[in-house]
Formats: sequence, C-alpha cells, structure tokens
Amino acid sequence: MSSLGKIADSVDAYNRHVAAEVARARTDAAFAAELRVRWAALRASVDWTTSPTGTPLPRLALPDTDEPGAIAAYLLGQGLPGEFPYANAAYREMYLDRETAAAPATAAVNEEPMRLFAGLGLAEDTNARFRYLSRHQKSLRLSTAFDGPTLYGLDSDHEGVLGKIGEGGVAIDTVEDMTRLFAGFDLTRPDASVSMTMNAPAPVILAMFVASAKRRFGPACVPQLRGTIQADMLKEVQAQNEVIFPVDASLRFLCDMIEWCVPHMPRWYPVSISGYHIAEAGATPVQQAAFTLSNGFTYAELLRARGADVNQFGPRLSFFFDCGLDVEYLVLGRVCRRLWAIGMRDVFGAGPKAQILKLHTQTSGRSLVAAEFQNNLTRTAVELLLAYLNATNSCHSNSADEPFTTPTERYALLASHAQSIILEESGLFKHTMNLLGGAPGLLALERAVEQGILDVFREMDTLGGVLAAMEQRYQRSKIQEAGHAYERQINAGTRPIIGLNKYVSAEAHPNVPLARTPPAKQRLQVERLRAFKRKHAKKAPDALQRLENVTRTGGNVFAELVNTVEVCSLGQITASLTNVVGKFRPMV
Amino acid sequence: MAAVTSRRIQPPAPLRILTAVPLCDGHDSAITTINLELARHGLEVIYLGYHQSASAIVRAAIQEDTDAIGLSSYNGGHLVFFKEVVDQLRRSGNSDIDVFGGGGGTITLADARQMRRLGTARIFFAGTPLDTIVSEIKRDFARVTKPNARFRGDRALARAITLAESGRATRHSSLVTPRKNAARSLVVGIAGPGGAGKSTLIDELALRFLRANSTGRIAILANDPSHPGTGGAILGDRVSAIYAQDDRAFFRSLATRGSLTGLSAAAPAAIDILKRSGAFDLILVESVGVGQESDPFGSFGHRTPLVDAVLFVLAPHYGGRVQLQKIALLSGADFVALNKCDHPMAHTARAEIQACLDQNGQGQRLHATTAAQHSDPGVNQLYDAIQSLAKGGTP
Repeated sequence: MSSLGKIADSVDAYNRHVAAEVARARTDAAFAAELRVRWAALRASVDWTTSPTGTPLPRLALPDTDEPGAIAAYLLGQGLPGEFPYANAAYREMYLDRETAAAPATAAVNEEPMRLFAGLGLAEDTNARFRYLSRHQKSLRLSTAFDGPTLYGLDSDHEGVLGKIGEGGVAIDTVEDMTRLFAGFDLTRPDASVSMTMNAPAPVILAMFVASAKRRFGPACVPQLRGTIQADMLKEVQAQNEVIFPVDASLRFLCDMIEWCVPHMPRWYPVSISGYHIAEAGATPVQQAAFTLSNGFTYAELLRARGADVNQFGPRLSFFFDCGLDVEYLVLGRVCRRLWAIGMRDVFGAGPKAQILKLHTQTSGRSLVAAEFQNNLTRTAVELLLAYLNATNSCHSNSADEPFTTPTERYALLASHAQSIILEESGLFKHTMNLLGGAPGLLALERAVEQGILDVFREMDTLGGVLAAMEQRYQRSKIQEAGHAYERQINAGTRPIIGLNKYVSAEAHPNVPLARTPPAKQRLQVERLRAFKRKHAKKAPDALQRLENVTRTGGNVFAELVNTVEVCSLGQITASLTNVVGKFRPMV
Repeated sequence: MAAVTSRRIQPPAPLRILTAVPLCDGHDSAITTINLELARHGLEVIYLGYHQSASAIVRAAIQEDTDAIGLSSYNGGHLVFFKEVVDQLRRSGNSDIDVFGGGGGTITLADARQMRRLGTARIFFAGTPLDTIVSEIKRDFARVTKPNARFRGDRALARAITLAESGRATRHSSLVTPRKNAARSLVVGIAGPGGAGKSTLIDELALRFLRANSTGRIAILANDPSHPGTGGAILGDRVSAIYAQDDRAFFRSLATRGSLTGLSAAAPAAIDILKRSGAFDLILVESVGVGQESDPFGSFGHRTPLVDAVLFVLAPHYGGRVQLQKIALLSGADFVALNKCDHPMAHTARAEIQACLDQNGQGQRLHATTAAQHSDPGVNQLYDAIQSLAKGGTP
C-alpha cells in the first residue's frame, strides 16, 4: 500500500473516532460535563464587536447549541478556526478588522491576503507594474509571472523564441535582470513577500533571486527573504507541461532546493503545491483536490525518505488552488485543510505547525470567456467570494481582459479593487469568523467532496501511488477526460456560459487594448543577455563545470546554483544540467 | 481477381493533419480536445506535442506529408510564430501544406487579418463550435494526393509513402531517386505488447545512432492503430520521440487503416521506398502493440521476412511464465529486450525469459533495458548488438 491508501484509511478512522466521541458525549455524563465546561469557557472567551450600523456581533460565531454531541461534532469534526482539523480556517481571525479588536494584533496576522500576479515585457516593465499595483497595499506583495522562454529554461537568444520574449510574463535571463525586476523594493522588510510562478527552472530562478538580494542587501539578508516559489514539478508533469528534466532529476533538484531553504531561508516557501493548473487543464474540483493533496503527500514522502524532519519541512509546504464557479468550490479549501491535517498528523506524525495547509487561491482563468468579456468581472467577483468563504490565506483575482491579453493596467486595477470591495468595503468578512461554517449545505457538500477525494486516493493507491500512477499517465488521462466533458457540455449547452452559449448578443469581437511586448524591447533583452555572456565568458565554463560535477556526484545542486548564477545565464545552466541528467520525455 | 482489384475505386484516404502547440507554450488542453474530435470524425491526426519549434513542426509536416498543420497557441507571440512556420514551408518548397490554428481570445480579429495576409490559411476564434471546426477543416484542407515531381528530399519520400498508403505505390516508385553508392540499410522490426516501452526504446536507439554517426540517417516507421469504427487515428508517437526530432532522422507515422497484421498494409512498400532511397543506414519499423500469435514482420512460415532482424520488447508485466511460453515472437525474434528493468518484478522476469530463450536454443541474447533512464547501459548494449549486425555479425 502506498501512503495514499494509509491516508484514506486514516481519514476514515478519524471520522469513526469523531462519531464515537459524539456517541460518548451523549451517553457518558462525565464526558458531557467536561465538554459543557469547555464550551462555556469558549463562549466566554469570544470578543464582541459592533458593525458600522450598530449591530453587536461576536468575533467568532459558534454553533448555537448546548447539546454535548453537537459540541463534540463541531470541535472534533471541524475544529475551531486555527485548530485541528482546521476545516474552518488555518488561523483564528483571518480577515477580521483589527482596528476593532480588543487585543492588539500581531504584525504576522495583520496582512491583507491580496496578492496580484504580474509580469510583462522586460524586468523594468514588470517593475513599473509592481509599483502601480503596490501603491495602495499596506504590505509589500510582489507576485511574478515569467514569459515562456524563462518558464522553459531557455535564454532569450535561443533559436525561435524571439516573438515569445516578454509575452505573458517577464523575461529573466540573468541575475542582472532579477535585480532590475525588484529594483527600489526593500525585500528585507518584515511585511515584504515575493512570489514567483516558476517551476522547472525554479532552483535557478530562486538562486538568481538570492544572489541578487545578496548584492543589494548584503549576505546577511538571506534569512529575512520571504515569499513563495511554485516549483511543483508533479503538477507540471500531470497538467501544465513545463518540464525540462526527467521526472527523477526534476524531483531531486526540487528536494535539494527545499532542503537548502529550510535552514537558510526560514521565511521562504520553497514549493507551492498547485491544483490551479490541474483544474485549468480540465480537472473537476474533486480531481483538483485529490491530485494536489496526493502530490503534497508525495513530496512529504520524498523528503522524509531523504532523512528530512517532517516538523522542519512540513511548515514550509504551501498550497495553491483554483476557484471556479462549480458548487464544489464552496467547500474545496475547507475539505483540503481537513484531509491534509489528518494525513500529516496520523500518517506522517507531524506536529501542529506542519499540519496546517496554507492556501493561496486564484480565481479561475478557464471560467473567463472572450464573448461579452465584461461579464468576467462578475465571474471573478463570485469566485473571490467563494475563495474567502474558504478562508484562503492569500488570493489573486484575474483580470476580465485575460481571454485576450496579459492584463492591461485598467483591468488589473479592477481585479485588485474587487478584492478590496469584498474585504474592506463590504462587512462580510470583517466582523465575524465562521460566517457559514456548519451550514447544512456546506456539510453535505463537504462530505460528498471528501468522499470523492478519498475514492481517487484509493484508486491511485491500487495503481501503486502517485508516481506509479503518473507513469501510467493516470492523472493526465483523467484531467483530459474531464476537460473534454467540460467542452462538450458547453457545446451541448448543458453548461450555460452567459454570453457564449446562452443569452448571446451580437458583439462578436470586442476591441480590447492589448499589452504586448514590442519587437525593439525583445531585441534589447537579447542584447543585454549577450553583453552578460561576453562579460562572463571567461568564468562561465568553470562555473558550469562545477555545477555539472555537483550534479553528477549527488551534491546539493541548489547550494551550487547560488554561485553559478553569478556568471551564467538561465539557458547556459539548463543546457549544462541537461548534459548530466538528460531531457524530459513528454507524455501525450 | 487482379483485374477486379485494379478497377475498384479506392475510398478517399483520410485527411492527415499535423497538430502542435508552439515553442514555450504548454497549453495542450484545447489541442487534445481538437485531436479527439478530428479523429472521431475519421481524420488521421499526427500530434507533435507542446513546446515545439517552428522547424520541428515543419520537419514533421514534411515527413508525414500532411494536408495541413494545425497550431494551438495560448501564450502569445503567435504573429511571429505562425509566420515563421509559413515562411519555412515556403522556403523549403512545401507551401502546399496549409497552416491553420486558434488561440481562444488571445488571437484577435486584427491579428487574424494580419496572419492571413502573411499566409496563415485560417484562424478559428474563441467560441467556434467543435463541429464547425471539424467540418471546415474537412472542407478546406482535403487535397487530392498526386505524385508531384517538384517535391525533393524528405517530402518526395513522404509523398511516395502517402501514395503507397492509398494503394498506388508501385506506379509511382520512380518518385524517389536512389542515391548513388548508397549504403545498404539495415532494417530492424520492433514488436512487443502495448505499454512495453517500444517507442521510448526506439527513440533512445535513435539518439545513440545520431551520436555514434556524424553523418548518415536513420528512419523510423511507427505503426499505430486506426479506430475500427471511425477510421480516424491519433498518431502520437512523435510526442515522446524527443531525440528523433532531428534532420538526420526521418520519422513517419502509419495508421493501420483496417489492417490487422500489426502493420499498415503500406508498410512493406514504405520499407521498400526507404531502402531504395539509399539515404538510410538504419531503418526501425515499430509495429502496433502485439499479442501472443502476432508475426508482423513475417518471421515464420514461407514469406520473405520484411526486415533483416526483429527486436521483441516486453515489460515485466507479461503475466507469468506460462504466458511467456505462448508468445510466438519470443522464439522468432533475433533480439529480445526486457524493458522497464527498474521495476521490482524485473529480476524474476529476467530469469524467466532467460530460461525461455535457453530452451529455444537459438542463442538469442536477452537485453535488460530501462529506456526511460538517461544513458541506460542496457540500451547501449542493445544498440551495439544491433550495430554489430549491420557490420555483418550475428545477433
């Protein structure tokens, strides 16, 4: 049995335990009394606040019951916000208004969840977009999208990539580009956080980030750097297709990076286990959750097999989900937090900090359509609401013009304001935690979604676990099948998409402003890269040789990359690593 | 009988479309849906995969002699990329191959106009129903496949094979001019059950050929089944052929089109065309996944074998010793490879197959390979054994 089978069994066992405790609460008078005492203390501890219209409200809503069975069902089955099994939230207060709080808030929890993903053109263009987006942010949130050549580890002077430079994200070839990208931002600020949507070349890009920060802030800054790099190679193989090296080598490079980051960059999340791309490629919400969680457990297994301590690396794992309009999204985050906590605690022996699933959510790109595209504003707003109802720790909202282009300023700002309207303007999330948790509809959905996820776990377990299933292209087939079903539903009209297959109006091709990279800029990037290569022509071969030696002899590749990037470009490093480990062979 | 056959009207050959996603773009969700729809409507789709360069796409379209190329681009840069594909087709004298594509909303109306001016035949916009896409591709890109004396190089070879596929091989064999002083090609047939890793092994052999020879070419004929109901096929062997994407490799996918022998009915003619061109030192012919009684290359009986040697590939999951003894090709093959030797069952499998080969008493050597592993020593040994056969040795 792979650990997936054990995890599914541990969830069943936990659910039986909850049921048994509920029964005991109803029959064992001593236990019932103990629960009532705890419940009364809990109620007494809840602070109160007042809405702007004068309505008094508890900062934490608890089920309206005194019945010991119901109390046990709530405390054990869902858990208080911030308590095992974390169905309601990872932390006690999440988005509540701090100004009205009785106790002073700590800086760590007083940050807004908004995190807007941006990247276009050359480093200085993205830098300008970062400045634009961060004008109104309390804390510093820089989330980076990279262009195609960078995502595939190619240099901007690689044959055939010219038209792709700076399209869909920023072009980064060297440590110097990285310095331009974050110029003017103090990355050592306690409330600064940088995320990078980067996978196969993640170790190289993070090494550039570290090297650039050392140049700017001195070598001592490294432990202060805070942020996330996606680096989730399993979902790349299963869905997103940005893979360069064979699976084994890709996973080794990732684990090398995680092992280096855990002691050296204690505030950094070196992997963001992502369902987003799995869902965008076609997966249903249940499949997204099942494949993403199982990938997370696989990383835990791989790290444990290398001798790493689950309580060291566990808190550095983070997650990233897609949120679309299907009803399951109402509970997806809630269910996943619960399953992760149970699996980590009961199968991996993790302590509390390593049990918490920390979640970034992005609204669904696939749900946005070109037809009557301004409806996308509404779609994104609804998805944001669902994401916040799932107590996501951070959130990106898509721009309405994304079916056509990298977001233009106008729609990026509207997307950002949508989050502010929900969290700051509306009172929904300001006053009371547990707004809807425990509602009959949510519970029914949670049970159904959890069962669906466990069924997928068990199926993959019979195939030999995540890696074996992947070799049999199980995840890819399932994702593609679901994607086709979705397209066919739209074609048949059984899945209504307003403006596309229902209530269609005449507007065929809207005239939308586009954010594209002019050819002159693309050529400038190539010139910069060539100048860098000329400057380091003498030192680069030795640096690459050292990197190849470390790779061949089983050393920590990431530790060496931090040196290599000083004198080598991304493409040079990719070629060097390919020499040693070979290329990824794609699956249909 | 012969007279009747010659008068019989050939059913029109299925449209052959090459599909791919451009360089630095991994968005394959739309194209896999289109691939399925096209195959479901009887087309042969040769799928090249995502993150494909313009030159790889053009090379594949030429070698596959496709009617058109379909590109699905979601990552921007389509103006430059489509133009590059069209220009390369023109420069190489293959502008008869049309280019069409789509990219959801990322390709705007103004982009599409410009792309059309620069030679792209058709852009399908976001929201176009799948049925419309399929019927317009069938309507606009169907061609009459005729001999074309202007075709040169790989395209001439490819067209000769296309004509063989439509049952007109012998009349047009003059299309391919034999090279003077051409070396004799070694032709190796590769068979084995589905999922044994034949395609990966073939690609690894191609890599070793290309590394070991600084000149000279290799050809690969990949047979894949047509759907018995629709007649369509998704020919996806090119996706995992990462090393055989090289100008010194000629790769052709053949749909079986109803042939149940494990090879396309045109395979013998295609082998003949490749041999007579004199361009290839090594020709690898991959059969479809085969069963216990299969004999795709005529290793038994009185037929002249199609190939010089047969490589039989199997993975450890063959179902136990009793099953092994029923596999005809295990005694007919010149080389036997047990692939996926990193699997825990491989140790037992290796012993069982070795016992089986010993019983055969034909001196067949078992090669233990893990083709999926970079620089696998077992694949090196297998390649050397095949090469020694080319030099007149024995398997």
